[in-house]
Amino acid sequence: MPEDDRKDATRDAVGREIEAALNEQVSGLPPSLSEALREKIRLRVREEIERDLRERTTSNRRDAARLAKEARKEEKHAEEGETFLRFNRNFRFQHMVMFSSVILLIITGMPLKFPNFILSRFVINFWGGIQYSTVVHRIGAGMLIYFMVHHFLYTILTRDGRRDFLLLLPRLGDAKDIVHNIRHFLGKVPDKPRFGRFSYIEKFDYWAVYWGCIIMIGSGLFLWFETDVLRFLPKYALDVAHEMHSDEAMLATLAIVIWHFYNVHFNPDRFPGTLLWWHGRMSEHEMKEEHPLELEEIMARRGRESAEVTDR
Amino acid sequence: MRKFALMAVLVFLGGAFLPGLARDASASISLEKCTLCHGKPEFRKLLVDGRIRDLYVTGDTLAGSVHEKKVCTDCHFDVSEIPHRERPKRVACTHCHFKGNREGAPQSDNVLAYFDSVHGTAIARGNTKAPLCQDCHGSHQILKVKNPESKVSRFKVAETCGRCHMEIYAKYKTSIHGVALSKGIADAPSCTGCHGEHRIYAHTDPKSTVYSTHVSGQCSKCHSSVSIMSKFGIETEQVATYKESFHGVANQFGSRTVANCSSCHGVHDIRPPDDPLSSVNPKNIPKTCGKCHPGANPNFAVGKIHVDAKKKESGIIYWTATFFKWLTIGTMLALVAHIFLDMYGRTRRLRGER
Repeated sequence: MPEDDRKDATRDAVGREIEAALNEQVSGLPPSLSEALREKIRLRVREEIERDLRERTTSNRRDAARLAKEARKEEKHAEEGETFLRFNRNFRFQHMVMFSSVILLIITGMPLKFPNFILSRFVINFWGGIQYSTVVHRIGAGMLIYFMVHHFLYTILTRDGRRDFLLLLPRLGDAKDIVHNIRHFLGKVPDKPRFGRFSYIEKFDYWAVYWGCIIMIGSGLFLWFETDVLRFLPKYALDVAHEMHSDEAMLATLAIVIWHFYNVHFNPDRFPGTLLWWHGRMSEHEMKEEHPLELEEIMARRGRESAEVTDR
Repeated sequence: MRKFALMAVLVFLGGAFLPGLARDASASISLEKCTLCHGKPEFRKLLVDGRIRDLYVTGDTLAGSVHEKKVCTDCHFDVSEIPHRERPKRVACTHCHFKGNREGAPQSDNVLAYFDSVHGTAIARGNTKAPLCQDCHGSHQILKVKNPESKVSRFKVAETCGRCHMEIYAKYKTSIHGVALSKGIADAPSCTGCHGEHRIYAHTDPKSTVYSTHVSGQCSKCHSSVSIMSKFGIETEQVATYKESFHGVANQFGSRTVANCSSCHGVHDIRPPDDPLSSVNPKNIPKTCGKCHPGANPNFAVGKIHVDAKKKESGIIYWTATFFKWLTIGTMLALVAHIFLDMYGRTRRLRGER
């Protein structure tokens, strides 16, 4: 128990120091009064020291536990090599807000598009009837709007956001990658295209969400505040919004359930899904497989940085 | 000996049939006896509240009615002596009219349906104003429903209901359905067309045919039928477009606050949209929509209400729907093709072909 020994030693040392200081201060007073005063001060100081030590050791212990856990993790996944932080905490939070809101929106919205489908009535009644499922739908809508605002601010205000946004812009290389990838699927070329931080698949997903959010939030707000909208626009504008909301919902749902789920859940590399959305980390192996150009870039940057350090 | 045997048989048969014969005889006597007093045209009674109850009945009173062959005491069976000392009780039709009766009355459970209805339960609670069978069907001159003279015939039933429901009758009379019926159009609904006959419930009762979630189904019985609506040049797509709209869907899921047909078109005072008194006349639409959407303005009337996005006449709505249809088909085809190509490539590599 080296920690406890150290604690005791500290306590004794401090106790002696206080004793000495007290002796100096109370030397001129009558003995009975000085004894009472000394006892009082000693108790108070002891209490303060105990509290400080207690706090300091708990936080030390917590830190030690965290470090040990991380070390164990490293040991366990040693064969995977280093992990790279692909999505930061902010981005992961945005994704979680978005997918929970979209799930809510789909399960409360789709029954309205297919009222005769056998499960629709069950799903609506699950929320307690249409008057409550519409409230849940608006809660989902609120979350999606929050996500949109958060993402705008993230894109503008943070360095990672700005970098990712620029990397997500489609460029000519993506068209080449598509052709290359299809030729690869057909067996014409042996190797996959080498993707950077974002492959064309991820770029499509990103811009699909952009398009979907703008259409769904725009038309959804029309339908939410129908009387206020009709103050300025004719009734057929509301019908157009209704049509857009209903059709784009279908497109978004299909794209998510078929395309996104295939890419992140059902395809044999990922089945049944990874925890990338939770911890945001990708192993070196996966990076080499899926984002080789980004990995090279990271390695090159590290090389430059360490070279700079040694130069100094 | 043979004569004696014949007599015995006759006596036996007479014993078997005589009660019937005697009954017939006593019945005819009964009618004559009743008309001794009731046959006088001036036979009436002055009630406490000043009204006069006409008690004039003749042998022809039942003539032509469904009860032609019945006699007074078949229904007024509590009259056992003449003159009767007390006022006879109200006739209880259920004496004969129940399923399984042996009197030859129609075999139906309508009486049970009636006792469950709003009128029957009101009677059971002791409301003396609620109608019994005879209040609608008539007392002595009961005719078959198909007979146009019957009080419950298609063309007369509204008047019969209107004897109590006067305000509603006045509204109905000037509505498109009432006007059509008075012109002799048999397809137009009378009271019973929407509310049902014996199973009439309050519109707040979930069993009612005009409960808020049942209204659209009840209207669509006629309004979605091309064979009926084509006679009057009314579109039948109104029902389908309503059911696809948010109002219709929410209504189907049991919302009682969302608009059903009658929320906009009116209940008893339904009029064609070009009638200035109609609640769906473009001029009245802000007021009608404003019942649920406070602050509704004339913009609510700009554009078709029952709009069908699949029809080209819907204009911009049709084009929006078409755009999204092809966008969805195109996108999904491309994405699914990509997925299948990916799986094809994986299969190749698994087989070891490059």
